[in-house]
Formats: sequence, structure tokens, C-alpha cells
Amino acid sequence: MAKHVIKFKLNGIDREEYVQDNLTMVDFLRKQMQLTGTKRGCEEGECGACTILLDGRAITSCTMLAVEADGHEIVTIEGLKKDGVLHPIQKEFVDKWALQCGFCTPGMIMSAVSLLHENPHPTEQEIRDGIAGNLCRCTGYVKIVEAIDAAAKIMAKEVE
Amino acid sequence: MAQTRKEYWSEVRSVYKDPKDYVLAGQGNAYVRIDAEAKVTGSAIYTDDVYLPDTWYCKLVHSPYAHAIIKSIDFTEAAKVPGVKGFLTGADFPEGHNLGNPEAFKELADKEPLCRKKVRMIGDEVAAVCATTEEAATEAALLVKVEYEPLPVLLDPFESMAVDAIPIHYPADQPGTANNLSIFTVMKAGDPDKCFAEADYTDKSFYRTQEMAHAAIEPHGAIAKYENGEYTIWTTTQGAYVSRYWIAWGLGVPESQVHLIKPMVGGGFGGKLDVFAHELCSCKFAERLGHPVKCILKRDEVFMCTRTRHPISFQIESAFTKEGKLLAKRCCHILDGGAYGGSGIAANTLSLICATFPYKVENIDMVARRPYTNHPASGAMRGYSACQVHFAHEIHMDEVANHLGIDPVELRHMNEITPYYTGPTGLEFTSCRFKECMDACADAIGWKDRWRYPKGSGEAIGFSGSGFMSGTGFPVLVTPHYCSATTIVRLNREGYAVVFTGANDIGQGCDTVMTMIVAEELGLDMNEVKCVQSDTTTTPWDAGSFGSRVTFLGGNACHHAVGDAKLKLLKHWAEEWGCKPQDIKMADHRVFLPGNPDKNISFNEACYGYEEKNFGRCVAGVGAYNHEGDKDIYVKNVGNYATAYSFSASAAKVTVDKETGAVTLDDFVFGHDCGRPLNIRAVEGQIEGSVLLGLGFTCFEECLYDKNGRHLNPSFRDYRFPTALDMPNIRTKICSDYDEEGPMGAKEAGEGSTAPVGSAIGNAINYATGLVIRELPITPEKLWRAMREHERTGKTEFGAEDLPEKFAKMPPLPKRYNV
Repeated sequence: MAKHVIKFKLNGIDREEYVQDNLTMVDFLRKQMQLTGTKRGCEEGECGACTILLDGRAITSCTMLAVEADGHEIVTIEGLKKDGVLHPIQKEFVDKWALQCGFCTPGMIMSAVSLLHENPHPTEQEIRDGIAGNLCRCTGYVKIVEAIDAAAKIMAKEVE
Repeated sequence: MAQTRKEYWSEVRSVYKDPKDYVLAGQGNAYVRIDAEAKVTGSAIYTDDVYLPDTWYCKLVHSPYAHAIIKSIDFTEAAKVPGVKGFLTGADFPEGHNLGNPEAFKELADKEPLCRKKVRMIGDEVAAVCATTEEAATEAALLVKVEYEPLPVLLDPFESMAVDAIPIHYPADQPGTANNLSIFTVMKAGDPDKCFAEADYTDKSFYRTQEMAHAAIEPHGAIAKYENGEYTIWTTTQGAYVSRYWIAWGLGVPESQVHLIKPMVGGGFGGKLDVFAHELCSCKFAERLGHPVKCILKRDEVFMCTRTRHPISFQIESAFTKEGKLLAKRCCHILDGGAYGGSGIAANTLSLICATFPYKVENIDMVARRPYTNHPASGAMRGYSACQVHFAHEIHMDEVANHLGIDPVELRHMNEITPYYTGPTGLEFTSCRFKECMDACADAIGWKDRWRYPKGSGEAIGFSGSGFMSGTGFPVLVTPHYCSATTIVRLNREGYAVVFTGANDIGQGCDTVMTMIVAEELGLDMNEVKCVQSDTTTTPWDAGSFGSRVTFLGGNACHHAVGDAKLKLLKHWAEEWGCKPQDIKMADHRVFLPGNPDKNISFNEACYGYEEKNFGRCVAGVGAYNHEGDKDIYVKNVGNYATAYSFSASAAKVTVDKETGAVTLDDFVFGHDCGRPLNIRAVEGQIEGSVLLGLGFTCFEECLYDKNGRHLNPSFRDYRFPTALDMPNIRTKICSDYDEEGPMGAKEAGEGSTAPVGSAIGNAINYATGLVIRELPITPEKLWRAMREHERTGKTEFGAEDLPEKFAKMPPLPKRYNV
């Protein structure tokens, strides 16, 4: 097993890290970077709790190696708040009670960010498609869909 | 003479806010969860997020056999892995300190922290390894050599009860009677035999439900350290105090030497009630090795080694008049208990209690048996026993209605429980809006026009009702302590209050509710009430999150505590102002006598004045609440189980694809009698989650095993539960206003709500296909096969077809306990 130096951007900051080649991205974030907002639910790419953004697109960080981040941009749940203000999706999750135990929430929000980036005006069905890879055992997804829909409308207004 | 408890609480109640003045608990509900911001930003700390310096990692060694004798354990190869620091076996824990429920039946203390001589399920823990990294511990655990002598494997609960079956724990004490019973329960009332003899209509049917996993997204785990002779453990638990009791017992140390901290818990659903080997081993290693030790289970370990929902086989007999009055019920429930007891103790009693309502039935003869098998241990799960029972009994209700030619909703109305009814075994119902729940669902789904979907057309509406205990008075994992809830509230002159609640928030939001109750009574903002989460050193005793007890018992304890503090404060100011405590109001950070502008001070001044008069002592209140029931309920099976009961009804509209057997849930209406909803969005959230669980239960989920007892689908890929694409929009109808005994009028809202979901969907599928399916889950494959067979042979009834013979051949019960 060897170690490699990777250069990448993490939550807007340029980083240079020394990582073991078999370390998964989720374990790198949690253990090496102390960013524990990214959760380990299944470690086989099924539950979506570890979803992060790789160059703006949602990816499960348990099925990615840390060395693969070299030269790329990573955003985790900790990187969404800007200047102390919640991202509109975070804000709507709070206001709409779109979470209960909260364990799937970081991954769910990252998938929603990716979805609204690609499709700023999603239909309800498109929202459901966008979070189909994120399992939630508590909410029945009703308020999550509602929150993402509300955030999409707010973000669309901000763009105007 | 000293004041009695009743007098004191009525004095406390006299200073409670008038419900019409509620700001937070009122119609607006303009507050959010206190943990929401932490959860959306990733800063919320769950067990796996607790990192202590120099933490080492523990990994468990599991049995690959479902039933075997342990011959030897060899750590030689494992010890060669770099970084390995230590090993544990059963011999490292005090002998006889088994985990389980010895209070009711001593045999139920049946789980050793690590197995000493025998394993009883695949995944049973036989040893533990500790290493400096998670990877080294995992590698070493695979190299531990355990020699086994395999024994016959019993997976069918009926085969396990056979008189010649090999004992999984202990042999039957009376020859010729059923073997391997962990517990059995009998409930009788009235004269059922006479009713059956005289009834216009009798029916006998068989049903079966499957093994289901809790599948909380957060896996179970723990991190422990040992300092000053004390273990501190952060763990994924639903009951900090109960877990603490069992961890201390398993380690053989006093409870005073175990400090349990419940961080955020990522969902429980009953699966985090029991105490597990990884908790005990983390503590033991921390003590032995002088390092903090963490053990987080992998997803397959959670599936194979934690707990599941009891699969139940049902024989149901019912007697009705031709007009549809339910006269009597006889039933026999066989619950597959799996390898151990644990939180499974309540399953039998609950399964029978649930069968006695939400319909009035005065004459009953009911038996539940919970045989051990070599499946993973069954335990408590959201809608404990109620989901299975209300599936079988509510499908049965529609079958009877159709035989009698009575509208199924009408048949339910004819027998519905009414307010202040007392059931045949002593359940004391109080507030009850069951009728309103059914009416609301029937209206919203368009029940009277259900004929627009002809039987067998592929589309249909199904209906179902249920009830549940609100504020269970009895533990599911017994300790010698009270099954009560306790809260302390401290008022601070700097303008805030602190609530120390033992209630275990596992995601349902009880920390927010407790904060709200305190803020509401004191006239403070939500962020002026600081909530100290469940922690055995700082918060007072609470029996845990189970049995729909948190809002009801914990909420009442909290309301009492803040009332106690408020009474002390207002008594002081009443004396100063020459009025009665009840005349003084607290709102908008002010303490004031309405209509007297000179008697209007800030919250801070009020606290300060009290302290000045009382030698600096702050205003503090203590509250407790428990249901005063007979603690031997699991032995006697008569008496009142809870302080109140919630009721609900469900209506589902489904479409069945006749080509593929796939079921789509198009619309779902849920009518709920939960008393006063303390937060409407929280209640809706609970109901929406209940529908997900119910849909998974009915159409998706099942733990599958091969003939050796190996779990075939221990991953989210193979154990599929509903995603956002499978869930409909859900319409919640709150059909209640106020329960006299509930905290601020509330009853339970999150557990009983799972119970009527499966049967509403099941009944809808039956009408859509024109078949009667009596077994869960109704997967596309099963439904497709049933429809094809129906086309070929005309057969209409499917599922549980092996049960009549199995029930008929069942060996008798031993003469033990209360028969």
C-alpha cells in the first residue's frame, strides 16, 4: 500500500493532502479531514448518505477513492453555507421539517444541490428522480420533495 | 398533613397556561426543530462522529453456523496482524450475567455478551478483536479460528415447537408439550364458545406476515472510554438508562460506574432498544487497553445481528350476527422469536391486546406463542406487533364484510370502539375519535364511489382501522427501575431556562417538543430554552423511546417539571403582589398580573426576586410521570396497558399492473386521533414515515434465509424499501382535539400510525385483483404468480396455505404460568 499526494479543492479551499491509495473518499473526509457531516450508512453505494459533489455532480463518496479527487473540486455538506448563511435548500429543509433523524439529510441535500444545478425548474417527478438514490427511513420523502421544490423556486427568483 | 401527590399536581396544573393562549402549541406552530440547523449543516454529532484522541477499533467475530457448539477459539493467526492489541471471548464477562428479561421469566435472560459454549444464529458473536485501525481489526477478525460442532437448524417456528425438536436454549420441562417456547400468553374473557355456537356467521382464516428489518440509515455503533474507574460510552440507543443498566450488568459493575451518553441517533424504529455485544466489548476493551475503543457495525452486521420484526402466523376465528355485530374472537398467534428474547418479551401480549381493539369484542379466547428458532432475534419494531396483527385482522374484517354482504366501512362502524369504553381484559379507553378517523378517510378517498373501480379491474380502494397504546406503562426491556419519565427544569435569572430531559430523541423530535412545552409555559422563545439531551450523568431517569411513550409520558413529565418551577415562582410573586398564583401570567418574557401595569416585570427580574428571597437558590422544578399499571402484566395479561389510546384509519388507492404484478400506491389518506397535535408538521412527518414503513411491509420488504439460516439479502441493494419514486403524496387528516390526560392534550402520533397502512393497501390489492392474498409481502412476483394461477384454475385465495395443517398438528402448551 502506497501513499500519494493529491491536490484538490475542498469546500472552496485549495488543499494538498497525503493519502493512502486504498482510502475511500468518505473515510478520508471523516477521519483525515474531520468533516463528519458526510455519513457512512452502507459503504456500498446504496443508501446515498455519503453523497458529496465532485465537480458539481453528486457522487457517493464511499464508492470513490480519495486519490481520485486529485485535480478535482469537492464540496461536502459543510461547504454549503456561505458567509454564515444557509443555502436555500438547507433553509427549506429546516423550515419545512424535511428531516427527522437527520442521518440521510446531508446526502439528500447534496443530491438536491446537484439536481437543481442541472435542472433549476424540476417537476415533482424530476425531484423524486433526483433523490431516488438517497434512502430515507423516517420521512416518507413528502416534506423533502416539498422543501426541494420550494428551494428551487426561491433559487430561480434569486437568479432573476 | 403532608400534601398528597394528587393535591400537589392539581396545584401545579392550576398555573398551566389556558390552551386558548397557546402560542407555540397552537394553530400557528411557528417553530422549527431545535436540531434542524445542526442536521442540515452536517455539524450534528452522531455516535460515529465522536472522535477521541488515540481511539482504537473493535471488530466482532460472528458465527457462520445458525446452531452449533463452540469447540475452540484460536487467536494465533489473528494476533500476527500488525496493530492488533487484544481479544475478548465470553469468558471475559462474568458468567450468568446474561442480557434479557429475567424480571418476568428468569429463562428470558438468555443472551450472553459473547457466546461461551453455543451459538444460536448466524451472526451470533463469539469473540472480539481490538486493533489500532478499523482495517487491522477487520483483517484480524477474519483470521480468528473458531471450531464448531454443527447442530440441527430450526427455522420454522412450528418445527421448533415439535416435541422431538432439539432445544435451542433449554428443553421443555413437561414431556409431550411444545418445545422451545420462550414465552406464551393466554387471554380469555366472556364465553366465546357459547357465542360461536349461537352465531349466525362464523369464519376461520389463516394469515402470515414476514420478517422485516428496521433498516435505520445509521448503523448501530458505540465508542467507549475508561477513566477513574468509570466507563463512558456514546452509543446508538433508544433508551440511555435501560442500556446503561444492561451494560453495567453485562460488565458486572454497578450502574454508578457507567456513564452513557446518547448523541444524535440516526433512527431507531425499535432496533436500537436492545443491548448488543459491540457496546459491551467496546467498554471491556477500553478498560483493558487504556484507550478509547470504537465499534461501528457494518450494514450486513446490522441486518444479521441486531433485531427484526417478529414474523407471525395467524389462525383467526370470528363470530358475527348476520347484521354484522362482532360477538367473539378466537385466535392463535405464532411469533417467530428467533434466537433470543430481549425486547421480544412484549410481542406476545401486544399481539393479543391489539387483537381486542379498535373493535368491541367482549368474548375472546386468544393464545400467542413465541417459539425460539435459529433466525436472528426478533424484537420491538415501530407498531410493535400491531402492524402484523392489524394486517391479518383487518384483511379478515373485509373478508367477513364481503361474506355478510355488508359494506366494510359500515361493518367497522358497527363495531367501533367508543369513548370511555373498557375492553374485556381491562383496557381503559378514554378519548376516542375512531369514528371521525374512519369518516375522514372514507370521505377523502371517495369511498362511497368505490364502485367506479370494479372488482378485478386492476384499480381499487382499500380501507383499514387501528388503535394503539399511547404512553405504554410497561417496559419492553425490563430493568428493576420504574418505567417512568422524569424531567428537571431550571429557570435562570439571565433570561433563559434549561430543560434536562431523559427522553431519548432518536430523530422523532422529542427534544424539540420538550423545549416547546417549557417555552410555551414560561412565555419564552424557543432559543431561550436550552435542552440537555439524554445523558445518564446530567439528565434524570427515563425508560426510553418505545411503546409510544415519549410524547405522552415524557411530555407530561416535562409539563409537570415546568409547572413545578412556575408554581414556585408564581407563589413567590403572588405573595409579593397579594394575589393568587393562578392570576399571574407569563408571556413574551414578562411575568404580570393582567390589568395591573405596576405588577409587570421581566422574566429575569422575576427569577432574580425569587432568588433574593430564597438565599440565592434558583427556581427549579422536577416532574415525573408514569402509568400506574400492574407490573406483572406480561404474566397476568389483564389490566390497563396505557394511559391513553390513539386511533387511526387508512384508505389507499392502488393500481395493479396485471402484466407484471407491480403495485402502485396512487393515493393515501390517513385519519389520526392523536389528541392535540403539538406540532402539525411533526405529526404529518410521523404519519408520512409510517406510510413508508407500511408500504415497505406490504409490498417490498422481507429478510430471506437459506436452509442453513443464512441471511440472503443483508444489504440495501437486496433488501429494498420504498424510495422517493415509490411513495405517493399522503393526505393527513387530524381528527382529534384534546385528550384530558395528555401533555397539552396530546396523544401518541408516530407508532400506532404504522398499523393500519399494510391492511389498507392489502385490501386495495385484493379488490383490484379480485383475489384474497393472506400473506406478506405482496411482491410483484407473488402477485403475478397468483394472477396466472387464477387464470388457469380459477383459484382465488392465496398465501398461508400450509398453516391449517401446521396449527392442527401443534403440540399442546405446557401447564405453566397462567393457563
